[in-house]
Amino acid sequence: MAASISGLLKPWTPRVFLVRWSRYNPYYLEPEVSKEAYSRPETELSAEEKEQRELKALRPIKAATSGVTSSVFDDPVISKFINMMMKHGNKVLAREIMTQTLENIKKKQVEKYHKASEGEREVIECNPYTIFHQALENCKPVVGLASIQKGGKYYQVPIPLTDNRRRFLAMKWMITECQDNKHRRTHMYEKLSQELLAAFGKEGNVIKKKYELHKMAEANRAYAHYRWW
Amino acid sequence: MAASCVRTVGSFLGKCTKCSSSINTVATQVLLSRQVCVSSALCRKNLAAAGPEKFTLEYIQKQVEEYEIGKRHLANMMGEDSENFTQEDIDKSIAYLFPSSLFEKRARPLMKHPDEIFPKQRAVQWGADGRPFHFLFYTGKQSYYSLMHDLYGKILKIEKHQDRLRAKGLFSQDAQLISLGPSRWLTKEELELLLVETISTHDYDRFIKLMERMLAMPYSSTEEEFVQRYRRQLEAQSMKQMMPPLEKDENGVAFSTAEGRRKTSDSSVILRDCGSGHITINGQDYLQYFPVLQDREQLMFPLQFMGVLGRFNLECTVSGGGRSSQAGALRLAISRALLSFLSEGDGEAMRQAGLLTPDPRVRERKKPGQEGARRKFTWKKR
Repeated sequence: MAASISGLLKPWTPRVFLVRWSRYNPYYLEPEVSKEAYSRPETELSAEEKEQRELKALRPIKAATSGVTSSVFDDPVISKFINMMMKHGNKVLAREIMTQTLENIKKKQVEKYHKASEGEREVIECNPYTIFHQALENCKPVVGLASIQKGGKYYQVPIPLTDNRRRFLAMKWMITECQDNKHRRTHMYEKLSQELLAAFGKEGNVIKKKYELHKMAEANRAYAHYRWW
Repeated sequence: MAASCVRTVGSFLGKCTKCSSSINTVATQVLLSRQVCVSSALCRKNLAAAGPEKFTLEYIQKQVEEYEIGKRHLANMMGEDSENFTQEDIDKSIAYLFPSSLFEKRARPLMKHPDEIFPKQRAVQWGADGRPFHFLFYTGKQSYYSLMHDLYGKILKIEKHQDRLRAKGLFSQDAQLISLGPSRWLTKEELELLLVETISTHDYDRFIKLMERMLAMPYSSTEEEFVQRYRRQLEAQSMKQMMPPLEKDENGVAFSTAEGRRKTSDSSVILRDCGSGHITINGQDYLQYFPVLQDREQLMFPLQFMGVLGRFNLECTVSGGGRSSQAGALRLAISRALLSFLSEGDGEAMRQAGLLTPDPRVRERKKPGQEGARRKFTWKKR
């Protein structure tokens, strides 16, 4: 085992293994798993993408993690959500909850579809993946607050959020809301599907939380110049 | 520790006379009277004051001759051709003659050309009259500063060339930048080796900046040879892939074998080009062995990525680790075995998808004074 690891870390490494950080040398690049990225011919690529391709040919690549595949059913957003729901490394349970949630959403939407009249049927969305993505989009906050110290006092200053941070906040609110604020006897998948459908329709506690955050940011607009980055 | 030992030569010889009576009686009579006192304090050398060992040119030349002669002797000993005995053959012979199981590779027996063993040293930098040869000797880093001086001289030369062209009206902005190809600058360690003196990171950064400045100027292709001396070629990573050989069994079916490891699991896979898509793991069906969907997805990943899902039969064995690490080990073994059935472009695509890299992540050890690898004990104020 040690022999195979030491074979990886040449020639750009320090001799000491970096224990506190990633096991990989920073020289390694992230893997690209989707099949479509490799089937594009040379002519379609821009100059940057060509450079990226040349760089990838010269550099070693990290191993793909065990949660990703090149299958059409693999969704990075859903994988991230499953990982965030997971407790004590129980991925099987988290994945089970996710599949049950999606199934539940589909059931409810199909029920609604069959009960609805002809005109309303076109509007009803039955694909649980689109509902999940749209609900998450609706929950994402646009601005966040940061606690900045100025003159001995701490002010809540509105700041722009990165894409990753927004996605993380939306997912975190969704999960905590379902874990804490619902009736104890309902299953997690039931709670999640209710909340996701509500967020899809721009209602529910998570959307309310997002609007409250926006209102706070609007109220503290005067301190926006305290931000220096 | 600083015990002084008093060795009486006479008594030692006396003991010898008891065993062998061949010693000259006259000599013993003379020697018996002398007492030689040797203190270990005298034997201790002041190593700090000696400084790094200096190897003279004659000494190194002698070592080189001895190495060449020794190489021929070794070739004769091993029964090989002494004319074409390469360094690899020497290494193999030494490993055979002096087998060592020491973990530190640098502590094992070694036979290499003296240029690789003895560090490069500078010859004496001043003449008999005490005057140094190089005009930048008193800077302390003469090779580095002379390199920077030459580099700046070349920049001025290029600027002069540009001015001449401008005077003639032939200057064009986007002409002839040096094409370097896939290459990198020399690292600081390599530059130090080249200059045979130590430089600081600041010096190295300045050197790189000046080089980049020269490269950015138009008409710098005249100095291409100078620049190439300070660059190393990067070879494509795909060259380094080890492909398992493609064999044929009795029925004419092509198959390949490969192994894979992840965390503490070891796996071995035989990929047969049958066309049925059966998978057996440790004798069991894969559906039985991996009840979890994620593990089966990981098994299918390399096959699905290449689009050859139903083509191959897999006969796998796996041991050790947990369910996820066994699946990962199998995935690596399948990707490696698949390499021999695919073209080079497909192999490169698999490498860039991260299928061929063995995952280096292992369980981090628990540290003393902490509860786990990272978790600290509960902090109590008092």
